[in-house]
Amino acid sequence: MNYKFSIRSLAIIAGVCCFLCLLACGGEGTKEQGGSKTDKRYFRYNQASGISSLDPAFAKDQANIWAVNQLFNGLVQMDDELNILPAIAKSWTINSDGLTYTFVIRDDVHFHDHELFPDGKGTKVTAHDVEYSFKRLVDPLTASSGSWLFNDRIADKDPFVALNDSIFQMKLKEAFRPMLGILSMQYCSIVPERIVKNYGKEFRANPIGTGPFAFKKWDEGKVLVLTKNDNYFEKDAAGQSLPYMDGVSISFMENKRNAFLKFKDGELDMLSGIDASYKDEVLTGEGALHPDLSAAKQLLRSPYMNTEYLGFSMRGNLPKAYQDKRVRQAINHAFDREKMIRYLRNNIGKPAHSGFTPPGFPSFNEQLVPGFKFNLDKAKGLLKEAGYPDGKGLPTLKLETTSSYQDVCTFFQNQLKDIGVPIELEIHPPSFLRNKIAKGESAFFRGSWIGDYPDAETYLTVFYGGNPAPPNYTQFKNKRYDDFYAKALATNKDESRYQLYQEMERTLLAEAPIIPLFYDEVLRFTGKDVEGLGVNAFNLLSLKKVKFK
Amino acid sequence: MLRYVIKKIAYGFTVLVAVVALVFLLIQGLGDPARLTQGQRTDIATMEAVRKDLGLDLPLGVRLLHYLNDVSPISIYQDTPENKSEYRYSKILPLGDRALVFKTPYLGRSYQSKKRVTEILREALPQTIILGLSAIIFATIFGILLGVWAAMRQFSFTDSSILVGSILGISQPSYFSGMILALVFGYWLRDYTGLNYTGDLFSTDMYGDPITQWKNLILPTIALGIRPLAIIVQLTRSTMLETLSQDYIRTAKAKGVSNRIVVLKHALRNALNPVVTAISGWLAAILAGAYFIEIVFDFKGLGYETINALNNLDLPVAMGSILFAAVLFVSINILVDVLYGWLDPRVSYD
Repeated sequence: MNYKFSIRSLAIIAGVCCFLCLLACGGEGTKEQGGSKTDKRYFRYNQASGISSLDPAFAKDQANIWAVNQLFNGLVQMDDELNILPAIAKSWTINSDGLTYTFVIRDDVHFHDHELFPDGKGTKVTAHDVEYSFKRLVDPLTASSGSWLFNDRIADKDPFVALNDSIFQMKLKEAFRPMLGILSMQYCSIVPERIVKNYGKEFRANPIGTGPFAFKKWDEGKVLVLTKNDNYFEKDAAGQSLPYMDGVSISFMENKRNAFLKFKDGELDMLSGIDASYKDEVLTGEGALHPDLSAAKQLLRSPYMNTEYLGFSMRGNLPKAYQDKRVRQAINHAFDREKMIRYLRNNIGKPAHSGFTPPGFPSFNEQLVPGFKFNLDKAKGLLKEAGYPDGKGLPTLKLETTSSYQDVCTFFQNQLKDIGVPIELEIHPPSFLRNKIAKGESAFFRGSWIGDYPDAETYLTVFYGGNPAPPNYTQFKNKRYDDFYAKALATNKDESRYQLYQEMERTLLAEAPIIPLFYDEVLRFTGKDVEGLGVNAFNLLSLKKVKFK
Repeated sequence: MLRYVIKKIAYGFTVLVAVVALVFLLIQGLGDPARLTQGQRTDIATMEAVRKDLGLDLPLGVRLLHYLNDVSPISIYQDTPENKSEYRYSKILPLGDRALVFKTPYLGRSYQSKKRVTEILREALPQTIILGLSAIIFATIFGILLGVWAAMRQFSFTDSSILVGSILGISQPSYFSGMILALVFGYWLRDYTGLNYTGDLFSTDMYGDPITQWKNLILPTIALGIRPLAIIVQLTRSTMLETLSQDYIRTAKAKGVSNRIVVLKHALRNALNPVVTAISGWLAAILAGAYFIEIVFDFKGLGYETINALNNLDLPVAMGSILFAAVLFVSINILVDVLYGWLDPRVSYD
């Protein structure tokens, strides 16, 4: 050991540290000078899962949809009662054969300002912009995750045509009643060709639309800032321009518990949904707002177009005994859904005592579509009838799920013990399970289905025999069901279409390829100073009418 | 010397190519990444368009070759304006409609967000490096102080407490101590400490202006530094005790030198040699440990990006960050080897 050697070693550490510092500094070069602070008040919420793109063509999940909905508009929009209202189109007509849709475009809608526009001012939206936006959505080169909306539905020749600056026409191959609902989806937002062409793939981070808020800054994984669009075309009932707020600021803390703490401290204006990490601190056991929060916060809730279920694969990889529908019915009757809602979910959601379509759709009717209720005697009877009295001879059924549903699945497993059906749980990472279910490799799995548009078809298509694995994850194929499906799509009269939908639900429940668990609820916690934030069954976030007291 | 460096670099290069090929092949078995870029509903035509867009329609071998071509600074591309703007290359030699080009390595774009992987890495890197450095500095300073303190009071209560504490520190995985620290100081004692449960170093206020929250570095630094700290404490203590028993220390004491001077000037300097040598060997390991800590504290560095990418089967990001980490390890090793040789003539290059 000599003294000089110590200095050498220190020099080595210093050398490595300098090398690392150089690397670190190289990465910091993009910091930009912030603008001046003002007392402007922005609406703040957290998006734990992160936003992958602000391009409407990739508005595939709730995180992206919420941001896109503030930045863009479609031809039509949906209000909180799920009515289709005009947006960029001021009116429309549908031909009697249901094949041609003609939209009249408003002449006072402008894109957000951008340097690429003449004089930097956003140009007026014309029917040609609509034509471009829809053509882009279906173009395989865009590789949009939303092209399924139009594939197989639009006419082969000239499906989207701008007849002049203010008339846009869309042609379908076959009549498809829910089309207007589809057009209200964020995928169908109107984008400016000039800007999209300039940025290409980078349009994802340079969005220019027509929405109530304009893009200001996106520091990925940190913050997304949107500012008020002063030229927004919509006005409130009193004639005042929307939006009211100065801007929106979205943070991306992945830790939901931390987001809850920030909300509690008043550093976030809204908290969406519940998470196991803070559930019991925001809700009482009965599902009301926790007394600790009720002084400063409020709770908005609405039924959610989300059905949670367990699905059997009907493809044949299910153990033989479970291919008997009486066994599947018995399992359905052996599960106490009310207990699950009360004890595992703090009374959030409704037990699924009807079919696959959740309440909120006009065709939902618990009397006309009676689902499975907890009835042990009936369950035991069905098992006996199928030749497995008290579950004797039944092989173990493997239920595949993700860790976030482990509690519900464990409860299910315990309940099934009462009729002697042996269940084994297998926990997978979400991405792995999703792939497995899509490939039909999972014989019994947990799933959920969120409605895409306000027509029960968005649920019933999940079991249409003509559909591949997404959306038909159970690979259910039933002639009676498929016939009703085809008939319903061609039926224009609402009442008779709903009857067909109910007929399909009854067929589905009789075959029992699924175990409906519960119909979910949308929960939004906000500060008491937040006014005008609605809540709707699609869990769509619209901030244009929100203001602070 | 030069030959030695070249040999080291060539060796490192082989390691990197092997890492690329191995990780590329391993990752393929995890599932279908195209499916995960979709929402809940999709159709076959949409999936095909996405596969083509992501290049997943090509056979595995071709994809691996493309990847290697993309990563290599000298590569061959079809010379089109689209390629030029995507790969940002400068042409060296035209070969018909193709061209031999020079570029910075191209790591592709994220499947999920379509963002350039190099950009993702560049944004994530500073956090990881700052976290790693602050952890090693924390561990070194406190480790040596505690170690010396314990050695000076051998067999006292202080000594035993420090020893027990360091054993506790060594025996805990860093992500575990991370969670405990977050819970105690970021949640239960939040009102007193003012620390966040989780949080990033570089953050922004609600208007999007950047702010640096150094306080968010405190808990991750402690969590990551606690194991090296414990090891440094024990190492310092034992070498210190050994040094203090040497003859020359007794001589110094006999000459009437004060106890403080003996410890700090004569004993500590010599005792530190093995400690410092050990620390330089751990730098790379600290960076690896940072991966877990980043997940616990929502600290958006390299580890956070890597693990998220693996969860989403976002292969380009996962490949890019693994490759980058490998480059980092290999270059730190080369640097340490070369510096050792340069500083210590006893190290031979052959």
